Amino acid sequence: MNKWLIPAVAAVALLSGCSTVQRGSIPVEDSGTAVSNSERISANGGFRKSTVKRPAQAQSQTQAIPQGDTGVVVMVPGGGAVASAPISTSPITPGPITPGPIDTSPVQSAPINQGSYSMPSTPSGIPSANAGGLSADEQLDGPVLALLTTAQQQQASGDLNGASSSLERAQRVAPREPQVLYRLAQVRMAQGDAAQAEQFARRGLTFANGRPDLQASLWELIAQAREKQGDSAGATLARQKAKVSL
Amino acid sequence: MTRTRSPRTPKKPPSRGLHPWLGWALKLSLVGLVVLAGFAVYLDAIVQEKFSGKRWTIPAKVYARPLELFTGQKLSKDDFLTELDALGYRRESVSNGPGAAAVNGNTVDLNTRGFQFYEGLEKPQPVRVRFSGDYVAELSATNGSKLSVVRLEPLLIGGIYPKNLEDRILIKIDQVPPYLLETLVAVEDRDFYSHWGVSPKSIARAVYVNTSGGKMTQGGSTLTQQLVKNFYLTSERSLTRKLTEAMMAMLLELHYDKREILEAYLNEVFVGQDGQRAVHGFGLASQFFFGQPLSELKLHQVAMLVGMVKGPSYYNPRRNPERALERRNLVLDVLEQQGVATAEQVAAAKKMPLGVTTRGKLADSSFPGFLDLVKRQLREDYRDEDLTEEGLRIFTSFDPILQMKAEASVNDTFKRLSGRKGSDDVEAAMVVTNPETGEVQAMIGSRQASFAGFNRALDAVRPIGSLIKPAVYLTALEKPTQYTLTSWLSDESFSVKGADGQVWKPQNYDRRSHGTVFLYQGLAHSYNLSTARLGLAVGVPNVLKTLARLGVTREFPAFPSMLLGAGGMTPIEVATMYQTLANGGFNTPMRGIRSVLTAEGEPLKRYPFQIEQRFDPASIYLIQSAMQRVMREGTGSSVYNVLPKTLTLAGKTGTSNDSRDSWFAGFSQDLLAVVWLGRDDNGKTPFTGATGALQVWTSFMRKADPLPLDMPQPDNVVQAWVDSRTGQGSDANCPGAVQMPYIRGSEPPPGAACGGESPASGETVMDWVKGWMN
Repeated sequence: MNKWLIPAVAAVALLSGCSTVQRGSIPVEDSGTAVSNSERISANGGFRKSTVKRPAQAQSQTQAIPQGDTGVVVMVPGGGAVASAPISTSPITPGPITPGPIDTSPVQSAPINQGSYSMPSTPSGIPSANAGGLSADEQLDGPVLALLTTAQQQQASGDLNGASSSLERAQRVAPREPQVLYRLAQVRMAQGDAAQAEQFARRGLTFANGRPDLQASLWELIAQAREKQGDSAGATLARQKAKVSL
Repeated sequence: MTRTRSPRTPKKPPSRGLHPWLGWALKLSLVGLVVLAGFAVYLDAIVQEKFSGKRWTIPAKVYARPLELFTGQKLSKDDFLTELDALGYRRESVSNGPGAAAVNGNTVDLNTRGFQFYEGLEKPQPVRVRFSGDYVAELSATNGSKLSVVRLEPLLIGGIYPKNLEDRILIKIDQVPPYLLETLVAVEDRDFYSHWGVSPKSIARAVYVNTSGGKMTQGGSTLTQQLVKNFYLTSERSLTRKLTEAMMAMLLELHYDKREILEAYLNEVFVGQDGQRAVHGFGLASQFFFGQPLSELKLHQVAMLVGMVKGPSYYNPRRNPERALERRNLVLDVLEQQGVATAEQVAAAKKMPLGVTTRGKLADSSFPGFLDLVKRQLREDYRDEDLTEEGLRIFTSFDPILQMKAEASVNDTFKRLSGRKGSDDVEAAMVVTNPETGEVQAMIGSRQASFAGFNRALDAVRPIGSLIKPAVYLTALEKPTQYTLTSWLSDESFSVKGADGQVWKPQNYDRRSHGTVFLYQGLAHSYNLSTARLGLAVGVPNVLKTLARLGVTREFPAFPSMLLGAGGMTPIEVATMYQTLANGGFNTPMRGIRSVLTAEGEPLKRYPFQIEQRFDPASIYLIQSAMQRVMREGTGSSVYNVLPKTLTLAGKTGTSNDSRDSWFAGFSQDLLAVVWLGRDDNGKTPFTGATGALQVWTSFMRKADPLPLDMPQPDNVVQAWVDSRTGQGSDANCPGAVQMPYIRGSEPPPGAACGGESPASGETVMDWVKGWMN
């Protein structure tokens, strides 16, 4: 299990140019349109019926077919796609639209050579065991990996509160790492809190663009959580999403 | 020293009667003996009852968040050293043991102390932290091997004290540092291990030393007697009390062994006063004077603490350093005489300075605003006695570094604005949270942050003015078929008649109308007329529903004036509301406490992270986009006079009628802050949201240096090219084309291409980029 994980991870690390996910900088320039997230649109936290009615959804429903991995490059305002917006600045306030806000997150991010802590050699592949669909296509930071490993050990020994606590610690270190949210959802599920499990999985989805395996796992978890909550229709819907993601 | 004979009375054989009156005396003394025996039985009950039960009540201890260290972490070296200083790390040239740190350029070597956390034990270990810019570039063990994540022990920020304000940190006898027990016995009671409660020998010696005029290094009381005196008796000085004390001491020795008695002594002994709080026991004394755990103390520190027992106030090392030093060295001499330490060790120890921390208070009143929040949250789950007596360990999300920066921002800003007439009477409140975790990190309840009184951050309910507006616009943006960021709004004046017949006629701050504006501009420039019109169109009750979904539990009447923030909220409620906006539409109940451990370090309770999706991320994406424009071009634009343009922020100003309240609420990716300025008597202030609260906020953000806001674009959001004047679909190549986000399907139909590349547009791009960068 772990043997193949290491080279696979190494390969992914190489491919992605060791672009470790930094705190606060989620990968941005990827094909975000592969999956429709219309599912999680809801006016008041509830899912189901209300979602389907909305016109915007109907639109995105049609987009839900995966468009292959080549995906369009979506212009994300936070993506640092700076030079592409030709605009005239206008000082008159209520007049024309002033140029869109530019986010230059890369400018602010860490000046550290990121290769130095590429993949810790700790072979305990956290994802592999009970992590369902998680596989080597995700690269994790040293601290996050270490904390997920700790949480895994705590969960294995039956200490769900401890595992939960360690995962929240990981979430503070990497608040936008969907794998952490996924594990949090799993532990909440094991603790019998299906409602929170679903919420964390949904939060994870908002950060999981371009990571189809993880999206599928998150949807699958949402399906289980909905089943637990007695929402079989919602569970079926989520299962379909899980299939689409893969 | 009259009591020397009395304790032995019960054991002394009565004198034989030779004369008849002696018989009477015999009978009388027999009666006396019986009475004494009865008294002894009574005392014995007291001794055993109090000693076998829970000996002390310990106030709950409140800890700040532990500082986490990992490679890639955003943390400046200065902030790190501030934290180490507060934790009482000794600065050494080479880090040589727990609680020591050595700074070398960009590298800090330290030996962490280890701590029992909810998740488990953090082991003490040597760590090397290398900084680069404001980041941790490398975290390794001192032998060079990489470390993934290390936690420092958390700063103790206060306690929840009972009325008598007696505080201590309980220690076990096997946790004491080398020399402590030997020194204590050598100085206070040389015969401790051989006597049975009282020591005639030491009394005799004390009398002799006293009368011969030598230096008094020993009192007459045994350690057992001293313990009894402090533990069971009042400070009254009388013969009967001395008698009782001696009897109890012997009874105590009868029931308990020497180590138990010594351990109780170590925890009971009084060593100083900290304001209202009495410092008891060597465990707390060590923290109080050296900022270090007892087990870390070195010979010279042990000697100082033991020396203080004789006169905690007289030998107070902070107030009377010379006396304390002299006393310490005297104790060291005794150790040498008694063979406890070698001459070399004593000589080396004598060369050491006293080494007490300059910090006078152990944070027992330093952060009253945040502690108030913690206490309120705890009181929902615990009884007062649990909090003041059980020694609970409360782990919070408090960030002392951010707190110091928040306090400095308030002080600096008031100093800068002091020229404004009436600014002296203006009070302040501030709440700082991490929107990604929903945790409160800092809190200011009063302009004088160390003043424990009315906590405005939690209790001041004030009209929020334009802070309400994002809720109005969000309500509209949730209907993408009707509203987009580029929908047109009329900003002409109007009036409505309420149900009560009153006419409501809102006005803009500049008392002018602005014709027709784009929807986002209404928010960015905080126009009242267009906002009120929009709010009436979507319905006041719907706006209030949005407010409730954002996390505001307070109920408001559905009056039109609510649309412009006539309703009152507290700063912490505002923080809850804005947190949902900052966190992608996921609401989080505000948390200040992470977990609670028992006095023994057993997990007791957790306050888990909880989230609930309340909004579609797409509409949140749009409202964030509009709130970013508040900062770029609207009422919040003065931030970029101070902060770099690369730092994307979102926020909103708020000003109530006649500038009675000056608000600002805004966030970066990882930091949310709400600032309120106003007068307690609700009088007028010289500040608007932008000229007052925003200035504090800006100052804070500059010091805190947060990560730029960067919400991932949801799948159902598209960026469309529109004409900046008409809002109609345009093409990337057309002059005046700008990109705006829309919920998919609500974007205007694409405009025709303007053909080729216009050289002019190329120029503007550069101008524009330069404009932002400068």
